[in-house]
Amino acid sequence: MLSYRSQKPPVDWAAYAFVALFTAPFLLFNIAPIVFTAYLSFMKWGIFGPPKYVGVDNYRKALENDQILISFQNILLYGLTIVPGVLVLGLMAALYVNNRWPLSSVARVCFFSPYVVSATVIGLVWVWILDTQFGIANHYLGYLGIDNIPWLTSTDWSLYGVGITSIWWDMGLAFVLILAGLQDIPGDMYDAAEIDGATRWQRFRYVTLPMLRPVLSMVITLQLIATLRIFSQVYVMTSGGPASSSTSVLYEIYTVAIRNQKFGLGAAVSMMLFVVILLVTFLSRRLIREQST
Amino acid sequence: MKKSEVTRRKLIKTAGTLALTSALPMPFIRRASAATELVHWSPLAASDGEVWAQMIQNFNEAHKDKGVSIRMEVVNWDDYTTKVLASAAAGEAPDFGWNTDPRPSFVRDGLLVPLNELAANSGLDLSDFSEFSINASKFPNYGGDELFQVPLDLMSIQPEVNTAHVAEAGLDINDWPDDGDGLLEWAKAMTKRDGDTVVRSGIMMTGSGVQPTVTWGIVAEQMGFQRISNDFTSVCVNPEAGKAAMQWVLDLFDTHRVSTRDVTDRYKAFGTGQGSIFWTGPWTINGYLAQELPFATKLFPKVGEKRVTYFERGALELYLQSDPSRYQATMDAVTWLSDNSFLWCTEGRGASPRQSILGRSDYKTAGAPWDVRGAFVDGLEFATAIADFPIINGADFNIYSGGNFLAKTLELVWAGQTSIDDAMTKLQDGWGESLEEG
Repeated sequence: MLSYRSQKPPVDWAAYAFVALFTAPFLLFNIAPIVFTAYLSFMKWGIFGPPKYVGVDNYRKALENDQILISFQNILLYGLTIVPGVLVLGLMAALYVNNRWPLSSVARVCFFSPYVVSATVIGLVWVWILDTQFGIANHYLGYLGIDNIPWLTSTDWSLYGVGITSIWWDMGLAFVLILAGLQDIPGDMYDAAEIDGATRWQRFRYVTLPMLRPVLSMVITLQLIATLRIFSQVYVMTSGGPASSSTSVLYEIYTVAIRNQKFGLGAAVSMMLFVVILLVTFLSRRLIREQST
Repeated sequence: MKKSEVTRRKLIKTAGTLALTSALPMPFIRRASAATELVHWSPLAASDGEVWAQMIQNFNEAHKDKGVSIRMEVVNWDDYTTKVLASAAAGEAPDFGWNTDPRPSFVRDGLLVPLNELAANSGLDLSDFSEFSINASKFPNYGGDELFQVPLDLMSIQPEVNTAHVAEAGLDINDWPDDGDGLLEWAKAMTKRDGDTVVRSGIMMTGSGVQPTVTWGIVAEQMGFQRISNDFTSVCVNPEAGKAAMQWVLDLFDTHRVSTRDVTDRYKAFGTGQGSIFWTGPWTINGYLAQELPFATKLFPKVGEKRVTYFERGALELYLQSDPSRYQATMDAVTWLSDNSFLWCTEGRGASPRQSILGRSDYKTAGAPWDVRGAFVDGLEFATAIADFPIINGADFNIYSGGNFLAKTLELVWAGQTSIDDAMTKLQDGWGESLEEG
């Protein structure tokens, strides 16, 4: 009969080693910064010297700061502008390529290529495209009888100027994901629908869209998170202006923490953004799940 | 079969040696090597940056066989202070940097190295510097009579004027106006409109950011406004003058219609002829000359009761090191750069604080032509509107900023989202709190 000691399974150190390859960097570079940020949000700290405990003072200051409140409002507006834009245009582009319409192989490259260019370059290029007086956007809109639009210099338009740029930049990823989803839909389903007399629109409405739902759900979630964290385009194109009309939470965190060395306040705003992203993501996932059931 | 020679003892010894070597701080390695490499951070990235890079290269060539060299790294201006703080906290601060703003908190926290003794050992002749520039490099509240920066250049903001637009409007550049009314007449003559829309600004402005903020700062001081009282006990002295200056800036857009808010990059816009008068600093000269822009630089007119313009001082400062033996070598390098700053103060940026350079017969003929460079130097006479103040929260008062408390407050006025009265009240409250921190 085997003893209790000999029945105990041996520790598989090799398995721990393999898991540690992921876990250790994850804890160090993902979890530890979140914990440190949470800690800092209760401190007053300017990098040099020890942090000083201030309780919830940073959160109070953040909630009393007009600039920061506007930035939260703006990222929700960005979300409402950019996410539907990326989703609809990404879907249209994917359908175009998937249906092998004319020049679809060239279109595939064109649709995806903006995504591989850095946001800084995109921002700089679009500053010129959207220039009020000399930009090509207003030039061509002029042919339609539309007056020059101050895309980046007016409080009414700057958010949309940055939003359009972001849609153009982000559409590439949505396009690839949706295209992959389209190519996974079995051809038999379309054949069956066609035999049943479904029109092209009905095939799209009752076959394509339901089958794409998991992919679209993922695109919405990813895009929502990316949009709530929008920074580079804002930094390059408008610096959050004019009058904070295009600012974002990340840009305000950068201003508060990196420019003004108020790391405690920056950390408090970061934690608030963390909670907002969690909530919005949770709600959107729940909404999509409810619709699908 | 030969037995392996790698014994446990040997393995531990080798691993220990490797670990010890890798754990050694960099300065030790730097010291141990024959040459000392000084690390220098600079935020200069406009056309003046090329001249500064040349200065560093000149130093390295002059010290090729002397065992010392400078490695320059360009750091984004917005992040400069934070990066210096972070690197110092990690014990890896650069040896020295070029900076414009006085940072009393750096002195209070021991981040800046006191220079009196080091400067004396290096043979830096402090009597050659203007008294004003030396006093501005001391922080009596935190550092007594110690010098913490070596002044390198002085500059003012003055109007650059597109001479092609001047000729086109039938004006004579030699009749440049001396007062606010004349300035507006010139601006109106050179402004181009398409219906009600300004398509070429007589006075180059942006709808937010640095340009309207610094314009307000200059005009407000001309009208008698003071951000902080002379005794540093109160803020917003003569608020009515500050409000009048806000109105003056607003009128450029809405009443006189000589400026448009529809400009995103003021430097490029002036360079491409979208503006006729653009007040800026000497860092733009080389770039505009290279692109053959026809322009001259004039003195800032007297818009208010007295003639005032923006003043800025560039200086070199030494940062806290874990190895203090590097300070003297760094100070020697800073002394060399100061002694040889003729190139920097003729082709690079602004005027020199040193009499020996200003007194040279070729001072006005070297570098960029005097008609584009001279006003920046001559205008120092009335350049008294300093960027920010030597207090802990001085950055909140900085008139050359696009993102600080002042700029964000004024931005709402320019966009018509708050009244001038409310903005002034907000400045009084916010600056009052900032001043309380010392």
